[in-house]
Amino acid sequence: MKHLKILTVVMATLILSACASGPKVSYGDATAVETTTTGFGSTDLQTIAATLVDDLLSFPPIVQMTANRRPVVFVDRIKNKTTEHIDTESITDSVQTKLLKSGKFRFVDMTAVKAVQEQLNFQMDSGMVDPGKAVAFGKQTGAEFMLYGNMSSIVKRNSSTKDVYYKFTLKMVNLESGIMEWAGEKEIRKTGEKSFFSL
Amino acid sequence: MNTYHKKALPLMLSALLLGGCAVNETATVKVDGATKEQILESNSGFLSASLEIADTKVGYAGDLMKAQVTLKNSSRSDLSFRYKFKWLDKDDFEIAIDGRPWTPLTITAYESKSVQAIAPNPTAKSFRIMVQD
Repeated sequence: MKHLKILTVVMATLILSACASGPKVSYGDATAVETTTTGFGSTDLQTIAATLVDDLLSFPPIVQMTANRRPVVFVDRIKNKTTEHIDTESITDSVQTKLLKSGKFRFVDMTAVKAVQEQLNFQMDSGMVDPGKAVAFGKQTGAEFMLYGNMSSIVKRNSSTKDVYYKFTLKMVNLESGIMEWAGEKEIRKTGEKSFFSL
Repeated sequence: MNTYHKKALPLMLSALLLGGCAVNETATVKVDGATKEQILESNSGFLSASLEIADTKVGYAGDLMKAQVTLKNSSRSDLSFRYKFKWLDKDDFEIAIDGRPWTPLTITAYESKSVQAIAPNPTAKSFRIMVQD
């Protein structure tokens, strides 16, 4: 009987100490497969970026074109035609970073044009910068290619299952000739079963 | 079966199931000029017993290394798992750590599937594929 009392006290202490440890936070693998919901997630973003970059870098005419030079590209918007709010710029950022790091392409960043212009104006007009060391106007390189695309989805559901199909299309067009040099597509299908507890 | 055994059995089963989640199979392919060295590492477990790295191929897209790995499901049931490519330079330093995600894949019974990847930059000289259930 005495043992039982001691055991109860020990158990209660353990339980109470566990409760006082606060919320449990842990770091996970950022590249792990994420299946919390059928909504667009990190795995989808990473898979799309990796697949399209592989596809672009291995396309024979692109391999030939980038063998001795690094063409300049600019990234346009990706149209989000899905029913979800998706930050498509995040996908193109990943694609852009991977392509840049491959050493095959260079980019002009259209999202930084305003800041660059302000800095050039400051260097030219403020009177604070040595004119001999100021960056000259009109010397920037124009982009030769444009990357743009679409993202669409088909969502179907019945009483127990939800099926989501995503299609991401990325295209690269030559700005001078208007010829599309490459297009890549990535499809993703996700199916979610409604759990017993959420019914 | 006494009460103790009745309680212990589900515990042991759940421990086995949880342990089964951490099975890895790794193939390292090193390319040194014309020679290709393939190292397969695996530990025992459900996935290692059912899944086989049947073949690995190495090629080039320009100066970027490209890899193909053929995975074979030798079991009677569908296998769902995830895989990840890692790229190494000539000194075995990993290039673009976490540059590629774990990718889910399902292979039906007795089927083979090939997975491919392109190196992130021309310094890649070997690759590693990891498989996890």
